[in-house]
Amino acid sequence: MNLQIIGCSHHRSNVSIREQLAFTEAQVKPFLEKFYRQFPDSEAVLLSTCNRTEFFAAGQTSDSIPSQQEMVRFLAGERGISNNDIEDGLYRLNDRDAVRHLFSVAASLDSMVVGETQILAQVKRAYELAIESNRAIPLTHRAFQSAIQVARRVANETTLHSNRVSVPSVAINVLAKQIFERLDNKRILVIGAGEMASETLTYLKAEGGSDIVVVNRTPEKADALANRFDGRTKPWNQMPSEIAMADLIISTTGATEAVIDIPLFDLIEPDRKQKPLFMLDLAMPRDIHPDVGDRQNVYLYTLDDLQKVCDRNLESRKSQFPKAMKILDQETDRFLSEMRGLASDSTIVALRDQANQTKEAELKWLMNRIGDDISDDQRAIIEHAFHRLVNKMLHSPLKSVRDDSEKGSNSLLEAVRRLFQLGD
Amino acid sequence: MDWLYKITVTCFAASYSVALVLEISRVFFQARFRQAIRIGFVAAGLFAHIVYLVMQNRLEFKASGIWMGSWFDWCLAAAWLLAAAYLWIAVRQSQSVIGVFLLPMVLALILIGYQFDDQARFSAHEARSVWNMVHGGSLLLGTTVVVLGFVFGLVYLFQSRRLKSKSIPSRLFHLPSLEWLQRCCERSLIVSVVLLGIGFISGVAINLINRPASDGVAESGTIAWSDPVIWSSFVLFGWLLISQIINLVYQPDRQGRKVAYIVVTCALFLMLELGLVWWTGHATTDQVSCLAQSQVVTDFLIGGST
Repeated sequence: MNLQIIGCSHHRSNVSIREQLAFTEAQVKPFLEKFYRQFPDSEAVLLSTCNRTEFFAAGQTSDSIPSQQEMVRFLAGERGISNNDIEDGLYRLNDRDAVRHLFSVAASLDSMVVGETQILAQVKRAYELAIESNRAIPLTHRAFQSAIQVARRVANETTLHSNRVSVPSVAINVLAKQIFERLDNKRILVIGAGEMASETLTYLKAEGGSDIVVVNRTPEKADALANRFDGRTKPWNQMPSEIAMADLIISTTGATEAVIDIPLFDLIEPDRKQKPLFMLDLAMPRDIHPDVGDRQNVYLYTLDDLQKVCDRNLESRKSQFPKAMKILDQETDRFLSEMRGLASDSTIVALRDQANQTKEAELKWLMNRIGDDISDDQRAIIEHAFHRLVNKMLHSPLKSVRDDSEKGSNSLLEAVRRLFQLGD
Repeated sequence: MDWLYKITVTCFAASYSVALVLEISRVFFQARFRQAIRIGFVAAGLFAHIVYLVMQNRLEFKASGIWMGSWFDWCLAAAWLLAAAYLWIAVRQSQSVIGVFLLPMVLALILIGYQFDDQARFSAHEARSVWNMVHGGSLLLGTTVVVLGFVFGLVYLFQSRRLKSKSIPSRLFHLPSLEWLQRCCERSLIVSVVLLGIGFISGVAINLINRPASDGVAESGTIAWSDPVIWSSFVLFGWLLISQIINLVYQPDRQGRKVAYIVVTCALFLMLELGLVWWTGHATTDQVSCLAQSQVVTDFLIGGST
């Protein structure tokens, strides 16, 4: 199997190059169809996310796939840019390095936020789009199926994916779950309508949060945010009564002074009847007076508190890297060994078939010449001798092909194919 | 089937201890198959535990004609129920390390049972009466629920303190949510009030209806208030009942740490009572002599002459 990758990612390409090489989902199929018209013997997959664009080409022999330079030219041509504009920002990988890279991408070891789970879904989608381009892609099928299995193994055997590393995800997926068993029956109050509020609500919705109330000084922004998450809005002056009813408060205003101060909390505290309250102060400067966190059954977390968890989790993920890399190496070796085995097996079968066909033809010729002058026993002995002759002649070359293949070399395999004109 | 008689307390105590060690190890590192091994050890312990109880009681039944006729048996039965509750939680809340708190309670009950091992058995006359069965059964279940509530309360207070102080939980040391713990505390409080109430009322009934005048403690139709177990049970039940009524009427008492404090205090009361049970030999054939001693203490506590 020959696999090649050219691509760009956040590791070595700046945003401008990534932007130029980015594809929408609708653009992928026409791109692949055009590629197949130009390189009909090759298989191809295009993976395009906000952090990377990678172009995979695979073929049974090195002749069946385009060279890396041809791939760069094709990619640049499709994007309407010159090769020189992207040449320096691209990486080129083949065979073992390419397989290992694919596994690494699928397992989220190459991601900007290591361990994020979205990339696996994107890899699967890229593979599905390649299939939808009406092509049989047996080699890339094996490579991508293996990549998905490797990603699962890394996820199961390491803690790379288990520690959250973004502030909103830590707030909801880690902390809120330590306080509340479920979020679908909790009243969620959002004060402010900024980007952080929106991100946090995304996680809350995913965890079942549904009773969402937004209060903001600018009602239009509150309406927009509430509409996006099926929530309701309340006027700014109703904030105290909403605080009294809330189970979870997310505050993200741009106010320069505390929005929830001690006098306000003193006012509403009796109405709360000491119901547990989880407060997320995601504003800078802070929206909630720190002393509110000392009140009974109030759990107040600020950006700094959450950032500390994110940093710790990131460190924890990094500590899992060597273990994940070891899995990657093992799986790459296993995959390549399997592929080599498959390639040598198909060559061996083809060579045996060819030899058997020749044997049968020569036997038939011989038997016609001899006619009925020999007995059935003698006929069987001649057939057996032919069979032994073919086996003995093939034994040594086939063993050499197998040994060579197990060592990771394709040269003898290709030589046998050419020598005996076995084709692909 | 003779091998079943060879099962000892050490067998299941060791199984629970291994499960506890495995549970503690979860705090420090991850390991594949540990969950299955831990559950396997607890299940094996539960099996050995119940077999031990049944086999021992078969022998005792042949000798004395009564089942579960000693405090030792009742403590082991409570420990078994608690271990079974742990198994249920371990399956339902597989991520949490609540066993770090719960399994020591199981082992403690086995140890307490061991302390009762040399105590006299219940009198056959008392153990066979329906009231005594109700009394013993409800107190057994009540004790288990109180201990369970105690663990939930402790974990709640620990978790609440951890979240308040912002010592953010590590993924390895995962505990159930405060909401779940609060609900468990509330439920264990209600169930324990009912069970201990039944236990207390049936105890009163035993004293009023069934107590023979010849036992030297009380005349028939009276309650032996000089028995520390009886008055402390009355105090425990009264306190539980009042706290439960306040809890139902006054909403803030249902919230958070207050429920946890109530169940923890309830368990401390219960431990005091178990101490008194052990000291006085309550319901056993030794009770007469012990009560004479306890009378001295009771008089001293209530300010009477000694």
